[in-house]
Amino acid sequence: MSQTTSYASTSDAARHGDEPLLQVRDLKVTFKRQGEEPFVAVDGIDFDVRPGQTVGLVGESGCGKSVTSLAIMGLLPKRGNRVEGEVLFNGTDLLKLSDSDMRDRRGQELAMIFQDPLSSLNPVVPVGLQVAEVLERHKGMSRKAAMVVAREMLDKVGIPDPDRRLKDYPHQMSGGMRQRALIAIALACEPRLLIADEPTTALDVTIQAQILTLLKDLVRETGTALIMITHDLGVVAGLCDEVNVLYAGRIVERAERHPLFEQPRHPYTNGLLESIPKLEVGRGERLNPIPGSVADNLPWTSACAFAPRCLNALEVCREQTPQLEMDFGRALRCFNPVEVAR
Amino acid sequence: MTSTANADHDVTGSADSAVPADADHRDVLVDVRGVKVHFPIRKGVIFDKTIGYVYAVDGVDLQIRRGETYGLVGESGCGKSTLGRAILNLEPPTEGSVTFDGVDIASLKGEELRRKRQDIQMVFQDPMSSLDPRQSVESLLLEGLKAHGLIENDAAANQRLRELLAAVGLPPAALKKYPHEFSGGQRQRIGIARALSVNPKLIVADEPVSALDVSVQAQVINLLEDLQEEFGLTYLVVAHDLAVVRHISDRVGVMYLGALAEEAPAADLYARPLHPYTRALLSAVPVPDPVIEDQRERILLTGDLPSPANPPTGCRFHTRCPWRQPTRCDTERPVLRTVELPGVPKDHRVACHWAEQIESGELRPHEVEAIAVEQTAGVLAPDSPIIGPTSIGEIG
Repeated sequence: MSQTTSYASTSDAARHGDEPLLQVRDLKVTFKRQGEEPFVAVDGIDFDVRPGQTVGLVGESGCGKSVTSLAIMGLLPKRGNRVEGEVLFNGTDLLKLSDSDMRDRRGQELAMIFQDPLSSLNPVVPVGLQVAEVLERHKGMSRKAAMVVAREMLDKVGIPDPDRRLKDYPHQMSGGMRQRALIAIALACEPRLLIADEPTTALDVTIQAQILTLLKDLVRETGTALIMITHDLGVVAGLCDEVNVLYAGRIVERAERHPLFEQPRHPYTNGLLESIPKLEVGRGERLNPIPGSVADNLPWTSACAFAPRCLNALEVCREQTPQLEMDFGRALRCFNPVEVAR
Repeated sequence: MTSTANADHDVTGSADSAVPADADHRDVLVDVRGVKVHFPIRKGVIFDKTIGYVYAVDGVDLQIRRGETYGLVGESGCGKSTLGRAILNLEPPTEGSVTFDGVDIASLKGEELRRKRQDIQMVFQDPMSSLDPRQSVESLLLEGLKAHGLIENDAAANQRLRELLAAVGLPPAALKKYPHEFSGGQRQRIGIARALSVNPKLIVADEPVSALDVSVQAQVINLLEDLQEEFGLTYLVVAHDLAVVRHISDRVGVMYLGALAEEAPAADLYARPLHPYTRALLSAVPVPDPVIEDQRERILLTGDLPSPANPPTGCRFHTRCPWRQPTRCDTERPVLRTVELPGVPKDHRVACHWAEQIESGELRPHEVEAIAVEQTAGVLAPDSPIIGPTSIGEIG
């Protein structure tokens, strides 16, 4: 294990094929509410993920980033909601698959890691067995063979003393170790797509740096495509090839990470970057927050949902819905984008 | 007092590295001396016996001056929140003393302590659980005022409430509403208004913005800074987010396993961290700039925070320190001291035996073997070594 490392850029090591591995087309998720209008959590999202690519979904709470990932994985409850659109994985629409077909793919071709490892691990099964279980289920391995691979996986994700740790229960591990165990489970079958939903939000910064480095190394090594879901633009800046910024259930801006951070065009992206306190900026300099807060309902139907908080808002923003349009290699949903470089 | 606070703002704002020259003469509002907070670990159903202690805070000295913001950073379990609570005497210190405005808080009891609490207020992390869901904002804000006898008549009370709401940027209509009717950011504003209502001298803010979204977080940070200027408040801000602390603090203390590892003026700490832990912590913060992210060298710490129930001997950080030396580190506990280095001010103190040698590049970092840290949820099996030389032997 190297002691000092830097996150080398993944985009430079562009091994991306041309054929997208995952194509999300007009994904829409609606939750029914008793006695109220249905709630639209995801309101028509399109994006592609190519093999080996790391794609970020960024936004604040309630923007629909987690619901998107659950919809892709087929993990939303069957009752009380409606999922529309297409999720093409290698050409197959995952939304049309039967439950048992989907179960065969989950864990094998697609895997997911969650924010809180303690509630995603089974508390009464030793960690080693939880890794082995995936291999038994999907690769048809014997318990014995699976445990050997499980040990290798624990070693690979940097859990010290893996022989002993195989028999540990989740509560005997620290938060960082649990997240490593969860990554081991997710990557055991070498999936082609890994979705990480806020994988480091519950962790301390030094542990977060460990986990991000690990994820980055593993993804590069195995060629797994990664969808990184986070609210932390700092995490995105170091990790993602392409970034989708979500607001109120829709993508408002999509760009490669360098252009996005150098010159954010959407006022929301710009506002987010402006409102983050920076390490090099000192006492006394005021932050520029985005005024107001996210509205409860999604007013995309006849206006831009961000218009009430937007400093660039024009008359047209309150009367028409902006479309996601291509603009010099980036996608942008805005009538009056930010012009000046930061 | 307000003018002192303002003057201080100007000084720290314009000259980035400088501490005000009169820093040593400015009077100290809070003086924490050798504070320890140990929690007993109990075992047994019928006979309660103490089988050990969690050394949550284990010997901290710090001074907070009037009108300044002291930032306390560290990772979870480092004791920063417990220290904040010890200053309010919500968690009576096991050892040591906390002097507030010349009075030893620990010596106060009953009515006297209750009166003193008017001067020290707290803002909590999660406004949803720190505001009573069944009380209207009006009643929440009046509670403190009544308890300390600060209202004479209804008209004055009404006036005061409106002032408070205006100060935190809420409309007067908010008075009749209940906490669930507000967004997270607005709730935190109510929490701040409640703390302000009794005209405190010190506000202890425990992770005031960590439950909020970034865009709202910035609003609350700005509000805290404005209020400090307006009312001449002194803050102790406890947080895990280094960028937030950097932004809001005049001086910063970095905690690791119950003790201060480093203490310095904010600008100085971030420009020139001297303790290996501070270096690692700063290098681990993700920066929203891909150019910086691609280039920066990360000091990756191996392993996890050792259990505060069984802290390592000597320097608490030696089990994970990339600069650990064969002598002193594992036997002798370093104390906070000033270092003789050009450009390092007197009030930049660090608890490391080798700070000078590390800074000069004489000592190089080396690899550290990760040590498994058992999570034992409070109860320790006495025969299993949690951390320390024995387990290194086992793994190596």
